[in-house]
Amino acid sequence: MELEWAGVPSVAIVHEEMRGSAEAIARVSGCPDYEFIAADYPWTPTAIWSKEECLDLAEIMAPKVLAALTGRS
Amino acid sequence: MTTAARHAYESHDALLDDYFERGWTDGLPIVAPTPEKVGAFLEHAGLAGHEVLGAVPTREVTCTAEQAAANAVMAGCRPEYFPVVAAAVRAHLHPKGNSHSTTGTLSGAAQAVIVNGPIRNELEVASQAGCFGPGFRANATIGRALRLVIRNVCRAIPGFLDRASFSTPARYSFCFGENEEASDWVPLHVQRGLAPEQSAVTVHSLMKMVEATDFISRTAEGVCDTLAREIRFNGIAGDSWLGEDGNVVIVIGHEHHRFFRAQGWSKVDVQQYLWSRITAPATSATDRMARIGRPEGILVVAAGGAGMAASWLLLPHLALAITEPVASPPRLGK
Repeated sequence: MELEWAGVPSVAIVHEEMRGSAEAIARVSGCPDYEFIAADYPWTPTAIWSKEECLDLAEIMAPKVLAALTGRS
Repeated sequence: MTTAARHAYESHDALLDDYFERGWTDGLPIVAPTPEKVGAFLEHAGLAGHEVLGAVPTREVTCTAEQAAANAVMAGCRPEYFPVVAAAVRAHLHPKGNSHSTTGTLSGAAQAVIVNGPIRNELEVASQAGCFGPGFRANATIGRALRLVIRNVCRAIPGFLDRASFSTPARYSFCFGENEEASDWVPLHVQRGLAPEQSAVTVHSLMKMVEATDFISRTAEGVCDTLAREIRFNGIAGDSWLGEDGNVVIVIGHEHHRFFRAQGWSKVDVQQYLWSRITAPATSATDRMARIGRPEGILVVAAGGAGMAASWLLLPHLALAITEPVASPPRLGK
């Protein structure tokens, strides 16, 4: 949201179990309708993901990010 | 002079019902934060109500001394405890204390408040038998005050910004003192750069606490090997934001401490021996390298009572342990 406020088109990605927290942050930040893209729950901490695991998720998320940025469903 | 909104009640029961209804408590009864009491707490700490103790920028939250004082009253503190509470709030809200993550995490991290220096005995903060548990007003209420600030000011409310899957009883309150009289070990706050006569708190956000029991070892090395094995089994993840400065707190119990005393081991000896072992390369999924960048990142504290051959590991969440001096209460002239 802060990037958006700074004029940088942005998409926030959260995993499903943190959606509630992200929505709460959106509410306290005065943007209750801010849209998030949700990824499946990461069973291992993302900090220790391999490059391949990151790329796998990127392939899934990239179309969703593009759609959010361009307003296409 | 307080500035907060005022609410009038016909009885204390009515007040409690309303506070529960509004979600302003941890589920236990509270002491009514009357303007007079809040004012007395601020006066005792020499703080103006509007003074800012810290912030959680991601939550649009700023914590003032008045807000902290109100929650300290609610927690059941005495006025003379408030300088310690204020220091604990400052420590927790330090940017590297990472309030947002440590109070919102699915893991249910808790905050340990460790008290050092003269105020520890002045306030009777327990540091020996039973010091992690109930029965000591200073321990119970100082730790609770920080948690009420986290709830009522920092908005870490279960189901809202607190997303813990289980949470932990340590989130009601977790405060204890270092048993500085147990040996000639340099107290934690002195190791961290403060003068011995300066009172201080160290706030450490912990992912979990693990009891390291060892009835067999009879040497400092043996006890440390047990501690290292437990740390490596449980794991300490690193984080690029924290860099090399990660912490783990090790509370050395009375029965283990005797071996360090007998062999003349200082805290630095413990830190160096442990660090080389916990940072050795992993050998399996249950024998992992701990991401602690320096020996000084291992914070060694003496506490607990006699009898149980155990020490405790307070394994970190994504934050640094922050040590803050306790401001001298002006009315005590110290």
